[in-house]
Parts: sequence; C-alpha cells; structure tokens
Amino acid sequence: MVKLLLLLGLVVGFLSYTSESLRFELQSGNTKCVAEEINSNSLTVGKYSVVNPNEGYPIPDSHKLTVRVTSTYGNTLHSADNQVSGQFSFVAAEAGSYMACFFAPDHKPQTTFVVDFDWRTGVAAKDWSNVAKKSNVELMELEITKMFDTVKFIEEEMFNLRVKEEEMQELNKSTSSKMFLFTFLSILICLSVAGIQVWHLKTFFEKKKLI
Amino acid sequence: MESRGRSHVGVTAMVVGLLVIASQMQGSIGIRFVIDREECFSHEVQYEGDTLHASFVVIKADTPWSYGDEGVDLVIKGPSGEQINEIHDKTSDKLEFVVQKKGPYRFCFTNKSPYHETIDFDVHVGHFSYFDPHAKDEHFAPLLTEIAKLEEALYNIQFEQHWLEAQTDRQAIVNEGMSRRAVHKAMIESAALIGVSVLQVYLLQRLFERKLGTSRV
Repeated sequence: MVKLLLLLGLVVGFLSYTSESLRFELQSGNTKCVAEEINSNSLTVGKYSVVNPNEGYPIPDSHKLTVRVTSTYGNTLHSADNQVSGQFSFVAAEAGSYMACFFAPDHKPQTTFVVDFDWRTGVAAKDWSNVAKKSNVELMELEITKMFDTVKFIEEEMFNLRVKEEEMQELNKSTSSKMFLFTFLSILICLSVAGIQVWHLKTFFEKKKLI
Repeated sequence: MESRGRSHVGVTAMVVGLLVIASQMQGSIGIRFVIDREECFSHEVQYEGDTLHASFVVIKADTPWSYGDEGVDLVIKGPSGEQINEIHDKTSDKLEFVVQKKGPYRFCFTNKSPYHETIDFDVHVGHFSYFDPHAKDEHFAPLLTEIAKLEEALYNIQFEQHWLEAQTDRQAIVNEGMSRRAVHKAMIESAALIGVSVLQVYLLQRLFERKLGTSRV
C-alpha cells in the first residue's frame, strides 16, 4: 500500500511539464521583439509572464508590460496592455514570420525586469495532458500518436525546405544567365562606344582640315 | 498471491515509466530576434546529465549594400556563473554539451558590427530517461526504452531541421542581394563607360580646338 502511494506520488510528480521557456531582460522604455516562422494552419500557443523580483510582494507598476503579436502582413493577433502575465493562442492563417513585441513602460530610474516567454508551435502546442489516460495500452497509443504528429510536422518542414531550395535554384539560374548577358552587353557597349568615338573624331578632324 | 502482487507492481512501474516518457515531451525553442548590441537569454535545465543542443544563424545584417559577413559572439554561462563555452565572430554555429549542473543557463550574444542583425536562435535539451526495469514484466521495458530513444531522435531531427531552415533563409537573402547587385553593376558599368567616352571626346576636341586656335592666329 505504501509502495503504491509512493509510486502514485512519483506519477504526480512526473505529470508536471518540463519548463522550456526562455527568459530575457527588458529595460524601461525599451522594446524587444521575438519572431518565429510559422507554417499555415498550425496551432500556436504563447505564454508570457514577468518574473517577480520580490517573492510574496505584488509586482510594481513599473514592471508591467504591453504585448503585441502581429502577423507578417501587420494584422494584430493579440494585444494586452499593462499586464503581468498572459497567454495567446491562434491558428496561423498564412505561413510567414509572426512577431511578438514586448514594450516596457517608461520609468524614471531605469529598471530592468525579466520576462519569461514560452512560444510553441505545431506539435508542441497541443495540450496532451487533458487526454484521459485510461489504460496502459492507451498510454502507449497516445505516445505513438504524438510521435506520428511530430513526424508529419517534420515531413511538412522538409517539403517547405525543398520548395525554398527550388526557389533559390531558380533565382541562381536567373542570376547566372543575367551575368552572362550583361558580359556580352558590356563588351558590346565598349566596342560601340569606341567605334562612335573614332567616327566622331575622324569627322571632327576632317572638318578642321587636319586629316 | 505472490504473482498477483508482482504483476501489480509491474503494471504500476510501467505506468510510471510511460508517464516519465510522456513528461519528456519537449520540443525545441526556435526564435528570431533583432540584436542591437547585446542580447541575453536564459533557459532552465532541469536534469543533470542532459545534453543541451544550441544553434544560431545570423539571417541578415542591415548593412547598406547588404554586404557583410560579420558574425556575432556567443557566451554560454552556467547556473553559478561559470563560463561553459565561448564562440567568437561566427555567422552560424551548432554546439552541444552535457549539462553538469541543473539550473538556469545564460546565452549572451554580442554584436560587434555597427548594424542591426537578425539572429535565429534554437535551444533543445535532450533528456533520455533510462527506464530501469524493476518489474518482472519484461515485455514492456525494452519497448519503453526504444520509444524513449525514438522520441529523442525525432527531437534531434527537428532541431537539425530548424538549423537547416535558418541557413536556407540566410542563403536566400544573400542570393537575392547578389542578383540585385548584378543588375546594378551592369547598369552602372554601362553608364560609366558611356560617360567616360563622352568625356574623352570632349577633352580631345577642346585640346585640338585650342591648339588650332593658337597655331592659326
């Protein structure tokens, strides 16, 4: 019985997610922006919070931040003013670079506070802890489903990489052919300009009765 | 009675094992930010003995003429301030090390060039939980170990992919710049040639007119 309780305790301990957030410092009056490339139709979840410098005391007003999350085309997807913590989630309509900007309010003695930011996209954004775990086989099924989603995501990324590489190859081909043409153009201009020079000077000298 | 007790322990051990694996579902954190002078990030590592993979790629630098191969410096400091790694003047790099102490690790980037640079930074902590089979249920123990290894490999693949994607973006920007510069070079070259030849003709004309003027007086 004690052993079972011990194991249950271990289980509960392990159920908490490992934190994988990034922390950065923000100075009063400054802006810090973080961007991420998101594919279309993928779920994105972001959580931000100000780290409390004094435990037990409420966070002072100078440590509140303003957040704006914008898409590549400038649409604001989330905005919050003077917050201590919050979260946002959306499904990315178009693929591109999405930016989350944090503004710190101006404060007379320059204060710096630490912001804890966690941004997940795709597979990592799905909340797996809500799924009821009934039996061991279902657990294994859940794990394998997660892995399958990860592999699908990797496959999508591979496809995108291939498309980008193809675009680059096209660009390189066009640059190379342009350089080829421009070499001939430059030689042509050189020769024609020299020819016009010679012809012009000849007529000029003949006019001046030198030749 | 004895066998039932053993299988009970075995089942719960397996549940624990599976949940241990479930809790290791970490992806990597890939972000892009613009660096001015210095930028520091800190990331919490929870277990000792984990391998921490980090990579960064300078996507573009806002230099005029979009030319420049300046890199950034990266200094990694451990939880008690000790320096773990130091990279100087690189445009992209990938590194990994085994975490000796758990706690927050600081990654500080320094930009030496006077221009803003966009950096893509990725951090991934690979934790492999070794499932020690105390249970007699030998069917699941190797299965769980293999599943854990597979997940670890998948996250490593994602990490590498993110780095490749960042490198591709950097190359795309460089190539676009090169293409634009080729067109500009051709136009400027033609203009310079024509301008210089007109100047030549004009100078020669002036020279001979002056000579003719003085000699025919």
